[in-house]
Amino acid sequence: MSDSDHDIKKHISVYRNVFLALLFFTVLTVLVSYVEFDATERYIAGAVFIGLIIASAKGYLVAAHFMHLNNEKPMINWSLILTVIFFIVLLFMPLLWDMNNMGKDVDYWGGEDQKLEIYHDVN
Amino acid sequence: MDIKIPFNEELRPDTGLYNAKLGVWLFLASEVMLFGALFSAYVLLRVAAPIWDNSILNIPMATINTVVLITSSVTMIMSWVSLKMKNLEKYKLYMGLTILCSVVFLIIKYFEYSSKFEHGYYPSTNTFLAIYFTMTGLHMLHVLGGIVVNFYLWIPGVKMWETEPERFTNRIEIAGLYWHFVDLVWIFLFPALYLL
Amino acid sequence: MSDHSSHHEESFLRKYIFSIDHKIIGIQYGITSLFFLLFGFSLMLVMRWQLAYPDTPVPLVGGLIKWLAELNGFASNGNLPPDLYNVFGAMHGTIMIFLGVVPIVVGAFGNYLVPLQIGAPDMAFPKLNMASYWTYFVGGVVMVVSFFIPGGAANSGWTSYPPLSEITTATHGQTFWLIGMIFLITSSLLGSMNIIVTIVQLRVEGLTWMRLPFFIWTQLITSFLLVLAFPPLEAAGILQLMDRVAGTSFFLPSGLVVGGEVLANSGGGSPLLWQHLFWFLAHPEVYVLILPGMGVIGEIIANNTRKPLWGYKSLVYGITFLGFMSFIVWAHHMFLTGMGQAMSVFFQTTTMIISIPSVIVLTCFLISLWGGSIRFNTPMLFALSWLPMFGIGGLTGLPLGLAPPDIHLHDTYYVISHFHYIVAPGTIFAIFAGIYYWFPKVTGKMLNERLGKTHFWFSLIFMNGIFFPMLIQGLAGVSRRLADGGITYAHAQGVIHYNSFMSASAWWLAVAQIPFIVNIIWTLIKKKDNPVDPNPWKATTIEWTDTTSPPLGHGNFEKEPVVYRGPYEYSVPNEKEDYIPQTKK
Repeated sequence: MSDSDHDIKKHISVYRNVFLALLFFTVLTVLVSYVEFDATERYIAGAVFIGLIIASAKGYLVAAHFMHLNNEKPMINWSLILTVIFFIVLLFMPLLWDMNNMGKDVDYWGGEDQKLEIYHDVN
Repeated sequence: MDIKIPFNEELRPDTGLYNAKLGVWLFLASEVMLFGALFSAYVLLRVAAPIWDNSILNIPMATINTVVLITSSVTMIMSWVSLKMKNLEKYKLYMGLTILCSVVFLIIKYFEYSSKFEHGYYPSTNTFLAIYFTMTGLHMLHVLGGIVVNFYLWIPGVKMWETEPERFTNRIEIAGLYWHFVDLVWIFLFPALYLL
Repeated sequence: MSDHSSHHEESFLRKYIFSIDHKIIGIQYGITSLFFLLFGFSLMLVMRWQLAYPDTPVPLVGGLIKWLAELNGFASNGNLPPDLYNVFGAMHGTIMIFLGVVPIVVGAFGNYLVPLQIGAPDMAFPKLNMASYWTYFVGGVVMVVSFFIPGGAANSGWTSYPPLSEITTATHGQTFWLIGMIFLITSSLLGSMNIIVTIVQLRVEGLTWMRLPFFIWTQLITSFLLVLAFPPLEAAGILQLMDRVAGTSFFLPSGLVVGGEVLANSGGGSPLLWQHLFWFLAHPEVYVLILPGMGVIGEIIANNTRKPLWGYKSLVYGITFLGFMSFIVWAHHMFLTGMGQAMSVFFQTTTMIISIPSVIVLTCFLISLWGGSIRFNTPMLFALSWLPMFGIGGLTGLPLGLAPPDIHLHDTYYVISHFHYIVAPGTIFAIFAGIYYWFPKVTGKMLNERLGKTHFWFSLIFMNGIFFPMLIQGLAGVSRRLADGGITYAHAQGVIHYNSFMSASAWWLAVAQIPFIVNIIWTLIKKKDNPVDPNPWKATTIEWTDTTSPPLGHGNFEKEPVVYRGPYEYSVPNEKEDYIPQTKK
């Protein structure tokens, strides 16, 4: 990051624009959430998708500009790429419940009538 | 303790970093994994839940909180820019505003929580409220930690500016990176818990 | 760095208790974790009595066991009651892993040696380093205190699987465990970030990545594993704490019936979620346990064969790949949870792949021996025995990584034997090797070789006496969770006679540690005026060639070293000496 006054002025205007964009996206995501989707699964998935896209855009703005990731050193970038890979692995964890039945209509939790019994003396 | 750790304030030529910068990014990497695990739990619980009633949450309040936190992020970076321009007075102003915003955030959150408790909504009520209270609670602890750090840098720690201005500016950058991360987490928590 | 060390007197507290000197902190870590290793081992010695001679009073410590059992509210006539057996089992694992091995390999060896080997005056963040030790200490105190509360310490295994770990809310052992774990995780995170920054930022001039000693590489990879794998367990710990304290149901499914009554919780959670989050940490954790051990062994083998480490680059790339892969194999601990065939196939494939870099490491070490003029001193003996022991541990892991044999072997003594071969004669032997090797560096005094060799041979024999019969018992199908050693278990009847042999081996193993303890105390007390050659092993790395033994006060180096060559330039042709220090032009 160079220290010349001109550069810093430019940075300040970038920060202001990012701020305005973040406010805009915040309002947008709230408004979108008020749009009545049909309660079918496809529409809920769509709503989740739109919500996450907007959140990701905001997250990108904060990370790239406020946290200066758009102009960071390789060591940090590589550490974060590694982190993001494992983060994605973590987020895929819920898929592990029963891959064989993905996309089929399966009651994952076994419904109300299936009770789990544990034989254990509670102290 | 007169030993000097190399690259505490100056940049190491081959990595282009000073120590604390790499340190804070590693810390944030671990934070990503911490919240990542919670988001993973969130997805799982949500897929499994028969009902996911987030309509009991107060969206206007949370929207205001989002704006407050974003504003605090901007004032935080402005406080760093002010130091870069060697303007201590402006730094103090912006840092004060950052702390003010984070306190406002906590106050609003307090009202949100107490209204939930008044209506008998507790973490034990259902899995939605459980994950809601856990994630926002952990986020609030991060905000609280940020307030402590920022307050230290605002009043007692500011004397370092006289002796080691370079290092003090670095400290603000580090505190800023943490604070933007707290903002970033909220940016994802807000739609995940309130809107979707 | 010309003003290397402070000459003014520091207060005792600052110098030895709340020190920010990495060497003192390393020693603090070392002493504390050796104490915990001994403590965890003692728990197992008592458990082995219960397994070999169920429900008979424990000799020697029977009174103590009776006192502890009654304090916790269990009936005992000097024997180890099953409830207390569960406590001991859970705490043996927790203490050995989180309070013993990880702190000693990362906290003690890492702290002490990393700055010295890379020529740094201290860790990058000395105060954070101190905070890391004291956080660990508090975590340890919480764990120890939990032994003395009503109901005893955590008793749901070191894995703390819910619902078992969550339906015992009447007692607080598990809550203590969770709080202690949060401290320990925080401590590890602070320590490992510090190590990464130190290695990346504080390497002296000329010490490029491919000139780093192998030990430094293992510490770097280990620290990345800790930074990225521990937080999910911290998250899981917070969730379980919420379940226990705030009454949430993250890990409790709907309609759970305990003791004939439906639990009064909202339900909707999943016990499997804990298992996934837990093993997401705990598989990389396995490599956290073994990688620094590999680093120690690598240093000692290169030094005592007087040869460069064979395949240095393969080793480095191998362990990097190993570290990466260790994040995508965790579910091989969970083949029996019914996660579906597709995922089982995925995880058994990645598990088979991850065995490749382990084999690369072992092969490189073996080939390093080829044609060397080996010095059979105590550290080298431990290092040499590490190779076959780690080999047995690794190869017995392959059947566990494949779903079909795992269905038979899961939760039997075979599993216990497998991971103990990795950690006990594996990592613990590497720790012993490291202690014998670096003891002159830390104290300026050589440990006695004869006592050291006695310690080695008896340890090796009795280790195998304990763990080899477990493989046989496990193949016969004996469950690892039985508090009576299997007398009421049909599958155990043919192999139950091994129990007393294994238990005797365990007690003899304890006796075999006496030469080690005597050796350390005797060397420290007797050899007062016997300053050792600063480089007794004729090693090449900076910690031996450029510092005194023990190193100067805070600051380590008289003048900043500059590195000109790789870490293992032994027996270079046409050289007068058979080693060339890294800092020699």
